[in-house]
Amino acid sequence: MSLQKILVQIEPKPENLLRALKAAQKENKYIGEKECEKIADYFSLPLARIYSFASFFNEIRTKKETKKNIRICSGGPCLSKDSAKVARQIEMLLGLEAGNDAHPKYKLEYISCLGLCDRGPVVEVEGQIFERVKPEMVDDIIQSYL
Amino acid sequence: MQILTKNWNKIDPLRIDSYIKTGGYESLRKAIREMTPEKIIEEVKKSGLRGRGGAGFPTGDKWDLAAKTPAKEKYFICNLDESEPGVYKDRTIAEKNPHQIIEGLLIGATAIGAKKAFIYINGYYRKQNEILEIALEQARGKEFIGRSMLGSAIDIEVDIFQGAGAYICGEETALINSVEGNRGEPRLKPPYPPVAGLFGKPTIVNNAETLANVPFIIKRGAKTYSQIGVSGSPGTKLFVLEGAVKKQGIFEAPLGTTAQELIYNSLYGGGMASGKDFLFAQIGGASGRLVTAGKLDQPLAYGAGEYNLGCGSIFVADKSTDLKNLLFSWADFFHRESCGKCVPCREGTYRLWEIAKRIKKNEILKRDKENIEDILWTLSNTTFCPLGNFAAIAWSDAMKMFGKEIFG
Repeated sequence: MSLQKILVQIEPKPENLLRALKAAQKENKYIGEKECEKIADYFSLPLARIYSFASFFNEIRTKKETKKNIRICSGGPCLSKDSAKVARQIEMLLGLEAGNDAHPKYKLEYISCLGLCDRGPVVEVEGQIFERVKPEMVDDIIQSYL
Repeated sequence: MQILTKNWNKIDPLRIDSYIKTGGYESLRKAIREMTPEKIIEEVKKSGLRGRGGAGFPTGDKWDLAAKTPAKEKYFICNLDESEPGVYKDRTIAEKNPHQIIEGLLIGATAIGAKKAFIYINGYYRKQNEILEIALEQARGKEFIGRSMLGSAIDIEVDIFQGAGAYICGEETALINSVEGNRGEPRLKPPYPPVAGLFGKPTIVNNAETLANVPFIIKRGAKTYSQIGVSGSPGTKLFVLEGAVKKQGIFEAPLGTTAQELIYNSLYGGGMASGKDFLFAQIGGASGRLVTAGKLDQPLAYGAGEYNLGCGSIFVADKSTDLKNLLFSWADFFHRESCGKCVPCREGTYRLWEIAKRIKKNEILKRDKENIEDILWTLSNTTFCPLGNFAAIAWSDAMKMFGKEIFG
């Protein structure tokens, strides 16, 4: 679906701006400058405001993602369930460092709280959420999802 | 005494009829048919209900302020943006009994005269979002929401607003900014939202747990409610127990219960997990204070004792806890979630995070220790909104308790 078609389903009121960005991202994977321009036109708002708004939120990407993304929760409750060991296992397996952007293919990031503290440690691989991950499960998850 | 968890697992969250069977929406009916808005606010005031998001502001006073501010339009927002590590109480209410929140929201909107209400939900709560969508649809079908609700002259429309992963948007003015399509940065207060909030109109932002208490208050009366808990902090509270306890999860207990009881009583945590020795408890999420064994016996209530109960989470650390990882976890969280509006918080949390990385890797520099003190002072004293103070609380306590261990 083209961005225009997505936008016409949403009323151009400021309280719908985040909804529009999310809908556009679902289709396009990221909200770049071109997308921001179209959204700015549709909502009759300055381009700068759209971009500053889009770049504020963790879940909205303003650049094309070229790497496969893995995220792991670093919150206290997940830590107490050994999330640090899981993170180390992922680092070892893929040969990268969490938070470091140097690897050409993969990226491991810390996140905090998807609100699943009772089911930790939580790992998200390319948008897919895994709960109660143990270090020995890392191998399987990575092989089947990356 | 159970107010919030009473019907969990007994009712089907996807069917409104099963909520109605337990007496659901009777309070809304009563509020609309038998009570004036002033009477509703009076009742909530008398009940002594206080905001469950952490600040503990009296809910009735907040509503009163919005009701008395003259405006053509008013807004009511339910804050379900819970994104504090270690807290999932609001998520669980939305999952197990969504109509309890919606009913409270509708009573509140009726009381202040708001025609438009939002449920601001954390963007990661996808399943809970679906549950709430279904619940709203069913409530519309029963004429609890929409034009001329229950045959009265009241119109209220409720929409869900999905966030997109920003902790700061749990702060009410930042939340309002993000609904308006602005960056979720906090605003200068005053004016407070009940006077000038969303689009400059009087706006109430209440935590989901606060609203879930309202149907009980309307149905059973303020007097019954105010007798639960302790004076100044009536009612029950959802406590989240995580870490090295036998039973982890959500427990409902009257306010004024001590952390000691919550951790060791078999009704709640049931004591330490086998083989674990108590080190400290962090009360109130990642921004909570660290409490040692000797101080666990203070009642958890608003404005009482040395530490706040905050949002009501208790994270129990045991002696095998890797402190360096934990310090990193806090610094990492706040540096990521600092909104960037004010320099002390943006830079302070960033530098603290850099030091935390070094501590984690055992590469501490000589100047780090002094710098930590400097950064923590700046965060606690000079930031624009409480996020900066929050970032310093756990670190300051940890430095007092374990500074020697970490820096040798």
